[in-house]
Amino acid sequence: MKQYRMRPGRLIAKAILALAGFLAVFPLVWTALNALKNNVDIITRVPKVIFTPTLANISYILGRDSVLTGLYNSAVTCGAAVLIGIVLGLPAAYAVARYPNRFAGDIQFFVLSLRFLPPVAVAIPLMVIWLQVGLYDTLPALIVTYSLLTISVIMWLAIPAFQGVPKEIEEAAFVDGYGAYSVFWRIALPVAARSLIGAIAFSFVLVWNEFLIALMLSSSNAKTLPIVASELSQQGMNVPWGILNASVVLLSLPPLLFLGVLSGFLNSVFRQKKS
Amino acid sequence: MRRHSSLPVTFLVPTLAILLVLSMVPTLYAIVIALQNRELSAQGYSWVWFSNFADLFSDRRFLNAVWVSVKWEIVTVVATMVVAIGLGVLMFEVAGPRLRNFYCLLFIIPVLLPRVSAAFVWKFAYHPLYGIATYPYRLITGGLIFDPLSKPGTALFAVASVDVWQWGLFFAVIVLKLLETLPPQPIEAARLDHARRWQIHAYVTLPMLKAPLISLMFVKMIESLRSFDLIYVMTRGGPGVATETLDMYAFSQGFIESGKVSYASAMAVLMMIATVITFTMLWKRVQA
Amino acid sequence: MKSYRLAASLGAAFVLTASVSTAALAQAPVCSAPVKVLAQPRDGLTLLEDSKDEFKKLSGASFQIDYLNENDRRAKSRADASTVGNYNVYYVDEANVALFASSGWIVPLTDYYPADYDYADFDPGRQKVATYDGKVWFAPLTGGGDLMVYRKDVLEAAGIQPPKTLDELIADVPKLTNADKGMYGIALRGARGSGANVWRWMPFFKAYGGKWFDGDKPAFNSEAAVKATETYLKLFKDSAPGTQTGSWDESTGAFLSGQVAILVESTPLSGMAVDPKTSQVVGKVGFLPPPSPLPGGGYGHGLAIGTKANADDAAKKCAGLFIAWATSKENEKRRLDAHQFGELNRTSVLSSKEFADIYGADLGQALAETGKVTAVNFWQDPRWPDLGDRWGIILEELVTGTRTDIKGGLNELEAYANDLVKKK
Repeated sequence: MKQYRMRPGRLIAKAILALAGFLAVFPLVWTALNALKNNVDIITRVPKVIFTPTLANISYILGRDSVLTGLYNSAVTCGAAVLIGIVLGLPAAYAVARYPNRFAGDIQFFVLSLRFLPPVAVAIPLMVIWLQVGLYDTLPALIVTYSLLTISVIMWLAIPAFQGVPKEIEEAAFVDGYGAYSVFWRIALPVAARSLIGAIAFSFVLVWNEFLIALMLSSSNAKTLPIVASELSQQGMNVPWGILNASVVLLSLPPLLFLGVLSGFLNSVFRQKKS
Repeated sequence: MRRHSSLPVTFLVPTLAILLVLSMVPTLYAIVIALQNRELSAQGYSWVWFSNFADLFSDRRFLNAVWVSVKWEIVTVVATMVVAIGLGVLMFEVAGPRLRNFYCLLFIIPVLLPRVSAAFVWKFAYHPLYGIATYPYRLITGGLIFDPLSKPGTALFAVASVDVWQWGLFFAVIVLKLLETLPPQPIEAARLDHARRWQIHAYVTLPMLKAPLISLMFVKMIESLRSFDLIYVMTRGGPGVATETLDMYAFSQGFIESGKVSYASAMAVLMMIATVITFTMLWKRVQA
Repeated sequence: MKSYRLAASLGAAFVLTASVSTAALAQAPVCSAPVKVLAQPRDGLTLLEDSKDEFKKLSGASFQIDYLNENDRRAKSRADASTVGNYNVYYVDEANVALFASSGWIVPLTDYYPADYDYADFDPGRQKVATYDGKVWFAPLTGGGDLMVYRKDVLEAAGIQPPKTLDELIADVPKLTNADKGMYGIALRGARGSGANVWRWMPFFKAYGGKWFDGDKPAFNSEAAVKATETYLKLFKDSAPGTQTGSWDESTGAFLSGQVAILVESTPLSGMAVDPKTSQVVGKVGFLPPPSPLPGGGYGHGLAIGTKANADDAAKKCAGLFIAWATSKENEKRRLDAHQFGELNRTSVLSSKEFADIYGADLGQALAETGKVTAVNFWQDPRWPDLGDRWGIILEELVTGTRTDIKGGLNELEAYANDLVKKK
């Protein structure tokens, strides 16, 4: 293959890519910087790159009861909903992947179609229902509602993951006298683990980031972190920009922790496709 | 052995039953509420059947919201696909393996952010006086004011740009991975025919990827329905009603302005019917 | 000598703390759970959070304040109160006290407001706003009317006398705009909301003789409303950038950072304008009552006891104690010490020597003058927030130019008002 010369077209292409890469992260970096600034260094007409950093914004955020409650609520609801998603979603996905029946296509479509439902269409009736049964603004109500999301997403993503497990391994286990359940436990789960973790991480990010349903189903006790963060930033009055930026940073950190897992997940999905 | 196991039943039935209950109860109840005249602050209610729906079609704001939602859907889906294919092809062409990995990591970051965070980040960036994104304009014009979020003509695009920032970059990664899965022979063959680089992609690689790209677009169409977080944080549907999408308007009616839960639910039901029908039809076509 | 004084003050401090703690020990704590408050951000409330321990000592429990901006606070408190009612204390204002009181979402304050906190000490105007249907519902946190605040230096440079009448104001504002230099004639509120753009628009409506209702019949769809809106839109051409979709924060922010020549805003702005901590235009500011015939927009915000979250009498007492403590003389004194002009409501504080020392005689006089033209401009009815917010959206469309037909907007509002009336 012949070596390509550096043509202007290539240079421009590289420049566009570099610009896109810059645009991808710079707004975030800037937000993080703003979180370390005093208000006077933020409300300047010419952006300030050099400033005396302060931890006041971050310590204010971490010192507020509402933020801690929001963090707790988010952790509990996301954790519980993802756990329910795993317990109910993974086995079902395995059954669809390995025991084809005539409904398999319909089941897959049903699971996907749950994603078509506009969130308002789910949130409004659920709000009325939870109000009537006295569970409005409680964590159990949020967990149950989010379970719909986690079960369907985990199931949807886990079906191809289980299909990617080489059939021969499972067949060999059957020959060795393993029952159907122990094949699932001992063979399919461990072999597919990498992709499954990706699917689970994805569902976690999805519910962690969820806003509309939490906004409609909570009032004060069950507010999750996105709601608290949005409230902090909707204060108006002499906008405390530094504090707002700090709350954005806090809210964004947990999903970013999964960056590695999710990019690995993408890679493994496409490696399967290739083979 | 596989045949006679009880596994499919024990694994599938409980999950599907729970999913059915969790999805059908709210959807059916949404329809029930839409036929009543419930309000948040009032205890009683009565059945008004289809009068909420009739009211909707003479409601100027509802019709506006339908139009804004359609615009939003088109703008975000088209822009996302253009950005994704453009950047995906560029990475494929000019970046070596290590650089590709690096860009892929960068491009995934925005989509991982909570929509609320992304909306804040850009809301600050678009601030007419202190924003980092409006700074170049202030610099070039010597301090003129550009306030994209409060101009009716630009607000929707300013919000849409955040959506594209999140999804377009992410999809670029997927487009790259798709390109990488292609067999090298057709590309080599085209190259031997002295085809230009862009011609190779326009006539060879992208047509080969037609099916996955359409699926990708389908996913984006579904995700674009979730515009609420961005709009709620960035404009609240304003200026005026220039960015008021259906979910934003339903939320305003149900919560912010008057607590007309039934009216909001009627809107949600119409949305639900429209999306389920549209996407079911699209899905069948994509699968066919 | 020195050591003696030290010992004496130590002794005094000891006696004080001892008396406080014995008082606390003498009875069972009033509160058994933290008081949850839904409020909008106020410097006074933020300051209060520094004294959490003091309240804990007093009541046996802490408190937590959730803040939302004004529009969101109104929407959220209404949604919460009408459904689960999980907040012990609501922040209510002149515009929604009627709704909250008549819906039974809050209880009359007086029964649970300890007498020694001296409710009668509050400014009489604010007490009036807190009263609905003959009962007192909240303890004021802020309130007042409108003042015209202007830049002496800018007007002088342009050779313009401070406008005394609305016509003069309309004529002067375009002359004062110099966009190239970042100076704008005025700052108005464009953002939707009965307490946002509509609030600034109402004085014009009233000045032109507008009226909301005639009995049960909407009367606002009139020449006055058209003229008021036309004037408002005309003035908006010279309003500072960001105010088209902004409210109090944006317009006062623009003034305090030196971009605005004249504006008519709620009275707390005057205190902020002379305080170097918040203002970049200290020493260049003058105050006058709003140009006649603009009436001032009388308002008052305060804390009220929620009904649902405080199921029993003990809980209501606890919420009442919190409100009393939060609006007490001691806390108001702290706000004065922190130069929080807008957070002062008690006659004893407003007439104190410290107050005069900080804010000067000028401001005091302007405040007294403007008190005379302060009026209630909105429709005093539980349905007001509904109507006002509806008009707010139409007005925002008009301001941002997505809609140009004023009469059409008013017709739409009238239809909406008729629906509101019918429902009742």
